Amino acid sequence: MKLASIRRLFGNIDYFLLFTSLVLAAIGVAAIYSSGVDAEGNLVSKEYLKQIFWIASGIAIMLAAALFDFSRFKDSSWLFYVLAIVLLILTRLFGRVVNGAKSWLGIGSLGIQPAEFAKIATVLALARYLDAAEFATSFRKLVTSAVIAGIPVLLILSQPDFGSALVFFPAVLMMLTIADVDVRYILFGVFGVLGIFVFLSLPLSASSADNPESILRIFASDQRLAILLFIVVALVALAASAGWIIYKKRFYFWISYVFALVAFSMAGAFIAQKVLKPYQLARLLVFIDPQIDPRGSGWNILQSITAIGSGGLTGKGFLRGTHSHARFIPQQSTDFIFSIIAEEFGFVGVAAVLGLFLLYFMRCIVLIETLKDRYASYVTAGLLGIFVFHFMINVGMAMGIMPVTGIPLFFISYGGSSMWIAMASTGILMGISARRYAT
Amino acid sequence: MAVLRKKITTRIRVLRTIVVGIVVAYAVNLFSLQILRREVFVSEAERISMQSIRIRAPRGEIYDRTGQTLLAGNRDAYSVQITPSEIPPAQRDEVLEKLSNLLGIPKEDLARKMPAGTAGGYGKITLASNTTFQVIATIASRVEEFPGVSWTVRPLRVYGDVGSLAGILGYVGTITRDEYKLLYNKGYASDDITGKTGVELTYEEYLKGKDGWIAKAVDVKGRDIKSIEQKMTPAEPGRKLVLSIDLAIQKAAEVALGKRTGSVVVLKPSTGEILAMVSYPWYDPNLFLSDNAGTEYMKLLQDPQNPLLNRAYQSSYPPASTFKTVLTAALLEEKPISPDRTVYCAGELDYGGRTWSCHIKRPGHGPVNLPEALAQSCDIYYWTVGRDFLGIENIVSYTRDFGYGKATGIDLPSENAGLVPTPSWKERTFNEPWTPGDTMNLSIGQGYMLATPLQVANMMAMIVNDGVLYKPHVVKEIRDPQTGSLVREITPEVLHKSSISRTTFATLRSYLRGVIVHGTARVPVNTKAVQVAGKTGTAEVGLKNRWHSWFASYGPYDARPEDQIVVVTMIEASNPWEWWAPYSANVIYQSIFSGQDPRTAAATVGVKLEGSGLAGRRE
Repeated sequence: MKLASIRRLFGNIDYFLLFTSLVLAAIGVAAIYSSGVDAEGNLVSKEYLKQIFWIASGIAIMLAAALFDFSRFKDSSWLFYVLAIVLLILTRLFGRVVNGAKSWLGIGSLGIQPAEFAKIATVLALARYLDAAEFATSFRKLVTSAVIAGIPVLLILSQPDFGSALVFFPAVLMMLTIADVDVRYILFGVFGVLGIFVFLSLPLSASSADNPESILRIFASDQRLAILLFIVVALVALAASAGWIIYKKRFYFWISYVFALVAFSMAGAFIAQKVLKPYQLARLLVFIDPQIDPRGSGWNILQSITAIGSGGLTGKGFLRGTHSHARFIPQQSTDFIFSIIAEEFGFVGVAAVLGLFLLYFMRCIVLIETLKDRYASYVTAGLLGIFVFHFMINVGMAMGIMPVTGIPLFFISYGGSSMWIAMASTGILMGISARRYAT
Repeated sequence: MAVLRKKITTRIRVLRTIVVGIVVAYAVNLFSLQILRREVFVSEAERISMQSIRIRAPRGEIYDRTGQTLLAGNRDAYSVQITPSEIPPAQRDEVLEKLSNLLGIPKEDLARKMPAGTAGGYGKITLASNTTFQVIATIASRVEEFPGVSWTVRPLRVYGDVGSLAGILGYVGTITRDEYKLLYNKGYASDDITGKTGVELTYEEYLKGKDGWIAKAVDVKGRDIKSIEQKMTPAEPGRKLVLSIDLAIQKAAEVALGKRTGSVVVLKPSTGEILAMVSYPWYDPNLFLSDNAGTEYMKLLQDPQNPLLNRAYQSSYPPASTFKTVLTAALLEEKPISPDRTVYCAGELDYGGRTWSCHIKRPGHGPVNLPEALAQSCDIYYWTVGRDFLGIENIVSYTRDFGYGKATGIDLPSENAGLVPTPSWKERTFNEPWTPGDTMNLSIGQGYMLATPLQVANMMAMIVNDGVLYKPHVVKEIRDPQTGSLVREITPEVLHKSSISRTTFATLRSYLRGVIVHGTARVPVNTKAVQVAGKTGTAEVGLKNRWHSWFASYGPYDARPEDQIVVVTMIEASNPWEWWAPYSANVIYQSIFSGQDPRTAAATVGVKLEGSGLAGRRE
């Protein structure tokens, strides 16, 4: 790489992205430090030091990613993708079990979560495909994208890591949106994910329903009946598709659409129910009503809400969050990092965090608007989808309005994999941003 | 391409709206949690992380009249608790074994108190609630052998050797569900101790005291967080009660009554202070604090003699001839006939188709005037004058004037009001008209008339006071437990002022003195220590050769009211007949006014405490 190009690159650094990501990471270090202090005021965890190391190494990765011109070497996307798939397969075979999921690959205490890497690789590969398939039909784009994203998703689901698998959906949907895929298909994806949750929660709400005659009971009691229902729905969807292809009537299309949506949701819920362990399922659904199990799965949520709420406007002060330090919140430094910030820095503090994330998101959207290179805009959209989804799920989970899935808050949560992926993504975006006016 | 771009731009606009929407929605939710609903979560966080420990206030102490002798106090009761999570599973059995030996509770019982589900629990389980200091000392000295074992101390009510005072003091017990509902707003907790009867109940608000608190922070495992300062509000012990009871008189009354079902009331007429109040049988109030309080209580409830009843004010009986005092007052005041006019007593009277016998039967008292009739307790005289000269209206009016038929308002719970029968009452109750025979019955304190010994004592007090009746009370003062300063003094409270003239009372007093000097009580009340005046009474209750025995009296006769005392003794007909009421009063007077202990006093006046050996009815 020529010196001049490096100089130009520094001149074109996207300070929005750099500033927001580094400030968020600094806030993260403070929060992790605080979470390592016990109620007696003793520092009992060295996680904050490790996090500083992750950030430092992350910045190096960010710079490397910024320097590498992905648009020019689009085809290397497939290389990353294949590498990611191989890593996922290796993880499936030789991975280490952490928190009930076989998600770690590594030697000794060093390890990586290939699922995180797979997120970026899939975004790149999908962007490469969508870039090439500019004039393909919407349907074709949808199906091919589903296959490209589906392979890593199924591998990750088999770990089983439902949360990470879920992250692919917003990324793909965001990219398809920018790739001008028919809104009906995008909505299909949105409703499909929601549908999976509906069908997953049906047995739960059925068992807690007041009316023992409730029709929902069939999902809780008789699995064969549910399967039969699925087959009927799927057959109707297929028949309607056939009708649509033969008669070309919109009427058939919508019947097929609705029934396929239901069938998709049922199948997704069925798979999730099969692969997920009962406690994972419980954590996933407990946000609907934490009071169902206040001492078990609902505990985290209730404690987290309490910590957040008790923070008030300005918070209890750094290192003075009583609820956090008394260890009432598990996974304080990773999943529930947001609640310690909210407790110690109050609404002012979380508003600042929210503002920084919004700034980051807005910057990505501005990039998408101004990019001429389709591939770059697809990558940006995919990464934005991942970022927004992580933010939405993690913060929502801390507030008790989203399922507990173990999705970290980028830049802030403790952890090497998520920090590296956040930094690498930021690097890619910075690279894209720096080269957007180049020809 | 232009069309395409436009479409994409719209989509980006939608995307931006969605992203901004999410962030704004989250900000709004956070605003709601942290600003609008902050208080809820702050108190919730405190509730979760602050553990408060109640320091129970010791219950107020109760003393006798002198304020020197402690009747009801507190002792420290130790309870042993265990925190299951703090016992290493391997040691569980061993710890239980040791505790079992130490506490004297079978190991199975201990194990049952901590079921399998609680093995990892951080909550404390109480294994024994009333152990001795020695047990705690042993555990404390070998604390490493008892992981997870802790103890607490709380004050427990304990009564001295109070004997017959149980009926006045009452007892305490754990608050009942109904009481809790009523007292919740006064800061009671569901495991509080409250007074159940007696002074313990009436003066509950003074005795209770105010519990203190220690608030300390704990972490998720319930461990103390030492860096956060404990907040302590010390307990305020309950107020100290000083009773009006004179222990010497109480003891004299107790001994004089002996093991006879009945009661004694000794009061100071000039103030209404109760100096002694004995009801036999009594109970030991300490029973209610033992570990098997439930069975003991059931035993007391099922006892046919009902020891839980304070017969001095919770039981009413026909006042019998003591009631002739009221008739005498009415006759002196209304003067329907001259007190000197005689009525001939032939021992029998035929009226209304039946023969009414005077207590001495034929040949009777002969011609008797009013003072003689009272001294000899001649039924024929009172039947005649009551029916023919006073009339039911007058009798009822005077009866009420003397305080009968309504509660005296003594500072003890569940007082019996007695009963004054009237024509309208009989109509209402039995749907039968009042007959002259009813008037005759009432004239000698029989029939439907009912009075408590306390009411009879009040009658005597009113005579001594020239018509002024004070509210009787057993508590003299309420004092601050720490400084000893007076919180409240129970001052004499006028319950009633009679319109009967002073001359009537003076005459009546001389007549009542006659009862002792030359009347029915001449033999049994022979004390030389004090001049007594009074009236005997023997109530028919339908038992053969057994009667209620009454003696209502005061002394020293003719002294200033402030120096006088009223003594009322009442022996139920359930005891073998021995006309014990005047005898026991005799012993009480002798003891009080000679300063002798009751046994010496009895010997001095020649009363055998074990029994008079009398047979046959006496008035």
